[in-house]
Amino acid sequence: MLLQNAIADALNNTEWAFPLAECIHIGGFAVGIGSIALVDFRMLNLGLRHETAARILRYTEPWTLIALVFVLFSGAALFLSQTNIYLMNLIFPLKMYVLLAALIYNFTVHRKVAAMENPPPVLSKVVAIVSLLLWVSVVFGGIFTGFLE
Amino acid sequence: MNIAHSIQSIDFLTAFSESVLAYPIVLSTHLTCIALFGGMILMTNLRLLGLTFKSLTITEMVTGFRPWKRAGGTVMIATGMLLAASEAEKYAPNPYFWTKMIVLGLIGVHALIFRPIVYNQTEELDRSPTIPTRARVAALLSLALWIAMFTMGRLIAYWEGYEG
Repeated sequence: MLLQNAIADALNNTEWAFPLAECIHIGGFAVGIGSIALVDFRMLNLGLRHETAARILRYTEPWTLIALVFVLFSGAALFLSQTNIYLMNLIFPLKMYVLLAALIYNFTVHRKVAAMENPPPVLSKVVAIVSLLLWVSVVFGGIFTGFLE
Repeated sequence: MNIAHSIQSIDFLTAFSESVLAYPIVLSTHLTCIALFGGMILMTNLRLLGLTFKSLTITEMVTGFRPWKRAGGTVMIATGMLLAASEAEKYAPNPYFWTKMIVLGLIGVHALIFRPIVYNQTEELDRSPTIPTRARVAALLSLALWIAMFTMGRLIAYWEGYEG
């Protein structure tokens, strides 16, 4: 509670704090989702064909993780600044469920299949499409949270 | 303000900005492009800085993403124009919007300067034992411009000068 109040105070009483948190949130998801999408595009055979998906995953994963930490912390700060508005929102809880699903999926199924030496092509493609759909839904959920109250 | 008013009064733009669903869908698409292609821009630039993807050549990174970046850029600009035109009267006096347009112009200047000496010379860069300074400068400037771009985009919503 105390922490929540401190964060809410900081974001609500400083003119630039809320937009700054939003910008970190946007920059973070651009890097986080973008780096996951690179692995997905490779799994769909759409780019970077000179390298295996497993190798691309190894390169992008540290950036994904760092970015996700920024997104989650800035997102939590935005949420704590006006909890009642978000909790009453129709879309926000949906976004949280999809986000949870996307995170769990990303670090279990997606990671496992992307790291496989010779995954069946169909499996690779289905896993990549589900990943893209989940993350794009999270972005849509974020925007719709602001538009449908 | 007259031109701005005329633009946003075009029937389909008025219908668009008044629609409960169309406006957020187009805005979400605009942001989805940032997410999908932001990663490509970042990774290409990090490769130019020698920070990641070292087993791939610069040529592979730059040319491999080119068609995707073009498609993404086209969708981003088309959705962005739709968003701005439908609320032209709000955007016209907004300093953040015009700063964003200047940054967009600077991204064009960046391309004009660095395409001939970096992005179209990737094979030469790959042959060079160390990554030349001009490639690193191009990458750093590109990153700075894109950060400025989405920051200004977000700040557009915060300007309170318009009273409509």
